[in-house]
Amino acid sequence: MVETGIPKLDEYLHGGIPKGKSLIYMNHPGVEGDVFGMQSLYHNLLKGGTCIYITSSSNPSLVKDQFREFGWSIENYMDNLQIIDSYSSLVGDLSMEKYVVSDPEDIDSLTEVIHRAMKDVPKGSVVLYGSLSTIMDLCGEEETLKAVKLWNKLATLYEHVLIFNFTVWPYEESTLNAVKNEIFNSVISVGGIAERVIFGQYFGVLKADWTEVRAKSMLFRILRPGGIKIYIPKILVTGPFDAGKSAFVHSISTRAISVDRLGTTIALDHGHIDYKGFSADIFGTPGQERFDPIIKMISGEAMGIFLVVDSTAPKDFVRAKQMLEITKVYGLPYVIVANKQDLPGAMSPDEIRHQFNIPEDVPIVPAVATNKQGVYEAFEILVEKITGGK
Amino acid sequence: MDGYSLGIKELDAHIGGIRNGSNIMLIGPPMSGKETIINNIVHNGLQAEEAAVIVTTRESGENVLEWYNYNHLEIPLERLGIVDCVTKTLGVPTSDTPNIKRASSPVDLTGIGVKISQFLEDFWMKKNIRKTRLCINSLSTILMYSNIQTVFRFLHVFTGRVKAAGAIGIYVVEEGMHDDQAIATLKQLFDGVIEIKHDQDIHYIRIAGLGKKPSPWYEYSIEGAKISLKGGE
Repeated sequence: MVETGIPKLDEYLHGGIPKGKSLIYMNHPGVEGDVFGMQSLYHNLLKGGTCIYITSSSNPSLVKDQFREFGWSIENYMDNLQIIDSYSSLVGDLSMEKYVVSDPEDIDSLTEVIHRAMKDVPKGSVVLYGSLSTIMDLCGEEETLKAVKLWNKLATLYEHVLIFNFTVWPYEESTLNAVKNEIFNSVISVGGIAERVIFGQYFGVLKADWTEVRAKSMLFRILRPGGIKIYIPKILVTGPFDAGKSAFVHSISTRAISVDRLGTTIALDHGHIDYKGFSADIFGTPGQERFDPIIKMISGEAMGIFLVVDSTAPKDFVRAKQMLEITKVYGLPYVIVANKQDLPGAMSPDEIRHQFNIPEDVPIVPAVATNKQGVYEAFEILVEKITGGK
Repeated sequence: MDGYSLGIKELDAHIGGIRNGSNIMLIGPPMSGKETIINNIVHNGLQAEEAAVIVTTRESGENVLEWYNYNHLEIPLERLGIVDCVTKTLGVPTSDTPNIKRASSPVDLTGIGVKISQFLEDFWMKKNIRKTRLCINSLSTILMYSNIQTVFRFLHVFTGRVKAAGAIGIYVVEEGMHDDQAIATLKQLFDGVIEIKHDQDIHYIRIAGLGKKPSPWYEYSIEGAKISLKGGE
């Protein structure tokens, strides 16, 4: 198996891409989908793999810069990376690369060079097509589809994994159908949520012929540096007064801010977290009853909830349940954070579950928010519930 | 005012405002001042608190900014985005700035499209600006590297985005560089055309397709950054 290096995607693909198979990222125009292929390539270089990168729309000398934008230093791995230059001849530049396509508008010329490079590198290498759509634009739709079938056969022969970046311009319907349904082992859709403009990006697995496909889309963001991170636009943190919600938000966040008066939150806490391939915005509600009317406003469109309770204050647990009811959109995943475990008299998660009749499938995570104990564990559990993981 | 103006008062008076979502081709012979015209149209929008995205295929992003500076035309940088398709092709080591995003080359239509979308999102979502002008200067350079079907597909997507965003798009084409069929193909995507012609050392301009009938041909001259029209017979 060759991993894609995209958070959650390898899990959805049951470990990655089997050797000899192909995967295409179908990127909708205007969405920065090319980064998917780049991240997959860099991930495999990091793991000691050998890769081939076919550049069709930019000069090979820019490739390093393109990776560097995301903090990926491919110059350290140049021994394991071969570049096929299918661009320079197009614009009349001289190429310094070992593999140069003399006529990028001739698909046979491209196939000949690709075949040569595939033969030269060790079995099980990753071959990334920087832009299959550019190849299609230059060589024609039918001709390119025919060539892809041949490249796929070569991949099987040499046990390489082929990864294609493809921009879904309005090609012939038959071409798009073939791309989507017929000639690739796996198809990943990378799209934009658009109303007036594209304001969010997502990906989802459309096809993977080696495993059962789970129909689920993930929102993502692209960070520079960092690359693709799964994005969760809103996680709510709620709980009774003085349970430690603000401390939890500040402790878990890469950056955070609170609107408070004399240390008590009176409007909201807001934090942003980047952790293990995930990027999330976190909103904390005030705990006092007089602020209940604004909790509903803050909680709209949340994707998951942390219910923070003071483990030493069982009298507040009724209030905690009441707050969960106020904020909870039906069926939303939530995790109970049993805070202040370091204080005398703190109840254990089991005691809390037993005493307050909390169902077994609701995770209760022991935590000490002031020293970050348990906060990332709670985050990982909630993210797994939101993204429908294990 | 709802809709857009060009900032060229004789033409604006004739059409009485350009509808949101309009896509316009600006076509004329080489050396007829199209660049000055497009830069003026951008400047006019920026003066009216709109945003603008310029896709430049012949000058670097810095040179576009320098043109405004040289001509003493103030521009609010927070509302201007430039997609520079030139600098990276020259092999000059450079990085993006808040105003200038660089595509790999004029062949890289995917990259150009991503950068246009990023500016549109930034203006609409983060800066809350509801009116934007997208200017591509020029389609002719893009057509030198990609065939007409490829450019048509690209424009099909982005003229649609301009409509969806209630923006306007202006696309510069060099007359004489493409055959009539290519121009006719591209024209299908546009709502109107600003035409320039040259006759005995005199330049003329008119606008068609956006009003009930085409405007008259106006003789024009350019001095510095200033465009002056006269005639209109």
